[in-house]
Amino acid sequence: MQTKANALSQGFIRCHDCGYLVKIVNQPLSCPRCDSHLHARHPHSLQRTTAFLLSSFLLYIPANIFPIMIVNQFGAGEPNTIAGGIIELIDSGMIPIGLLVLVASILVPSLKLIGISLLLLCVHFRWQVNARRWTTMYRVIAFVGRWSMLDIFMISILVDLVNFSGIQIIAGPAATAFAAVVILTMFAAENFDPRLLWDTQQDL
Amino acid sequence: MKISHYDACPECDLLLNLVAPKIGDKAHCPRCGLLLSRPCKQSIERSFALSIAGFILFFPANLLPMVGITIMGNANTGLLFSGVVALFNDGMEAVAIVVFLASILFPLVHIVLSLLISGHLYFNRPNRYLVHWMRWMHHLDEWVMLEVYMLSIIVACVKLMALAQLKLGWGLYAFVALIVITTLLTGSLDEELFWQRIHQLRERNGNAN
Repeated sequence: MQTKANALSQGFIRCHDCGYLVKIVNQPLSCPRCDSHLHARHPHSLQRTTAFLLSSFLLYIPANIFPIMIVNQFGAGEPNTIAGGIIELIDSGMIPIGLLVLVASILVPSLKLIGISLLLLCVHFRWQVNARRWTTMYRVIAFVGRWSMLDIFMISILVDLVNFSGIQIIAGPAATAFAAVVILTMFAAENFDPRLLWDTQQDL
Repeated sequence: MKISHYDACPECDLLLNLVAPKIGDKAHCPRCGLLLSRPCKQSIERSFALSIAGFILFFPANLLPMVGITIMGNANTGLLFSGVVALFNDGMEAVAIVVFLASILFPLVHIVLSLLISGHLYFNRPNRYLVHWMRWMHHLDEWVMLEVYMLSIIVACVKLMALAQLKLGWGLYAFVALIVITTLLTGSLDEELFWQRIHQLRERNGNAN
């Protein structure tokens, strides 16, 4: 089943949208099966990924220092940062849920930022690595990204449900920043082309 | 221009000889390990049936209350959409729009598209928009976040358990059913098979004209 060649070096392009394999003759512009533009690699993959990544790094700071939600109890407001909410959950004995939120809101976004940075550096500096392992890392990053929306959805539920005269939960400024981080890192992962990891390996 | 006995791995670009795995088997890329295809029995029929079920379930999941809450005698219930409205009224328009897209609009569009596509394929009806629908559905996939929302409901309930009485509503049960259906749908919808069928319909239609 295995040949030893990159499809591109043999003159084939796989359509990014429908997966159709096209033999390049005089640079066909669109896929014969689904009409979308053909490109061997995501266009400007590194530039776009870097742009999304840098924006999410910047927004990651306000997302973590500002309160993500504020609990107003009888007039006294108690702001909660992302980390504060987790500590509160663990303090009140809800350790599994606390760990879940810790993974989704802190570990996943920060490891994702680091992971995408490493992928970019690896391609840019042509590091000779175990490409299979790095591709797996990319796959994990692309898969887990959406789960960080957990905190955002939870805020929308809490803000809606806890809205009484005595007690109220309102969303804080970090919510916008955090949602932006999650979406921008998803864009970054989507724009990164893992095939670049294989293109830069010399001994394949 | 057309080459049918080769395929390429989408993630490492290894040129592969095209092997169609048997139903129930999986094909992995030998170089990077990516799951290339896992054909499913009666993909079109199943996808059509699941899309209908999902489309029907979408309405109770959105219109019936999900969770009821009582604090010190005051009661309140929550819907998917009321969470969006509450965020909007708090001045969090951007977040409200993101939540609306990921938990209501994209899931709806996704299920409608898969209903349209599998319906057309099931009845062998060509349509010049099939290609566009397929592409939109492919790109929307990642942005449908129902199962993430489900986890958020659980976390929110755990957080509220200490200070309030909670009551689960019919909307939540419908929502869980909707998640089961969409997960099954993702498993049964064989994109490569769908593309091949769309291509056939298109060529047949082109020859007829």
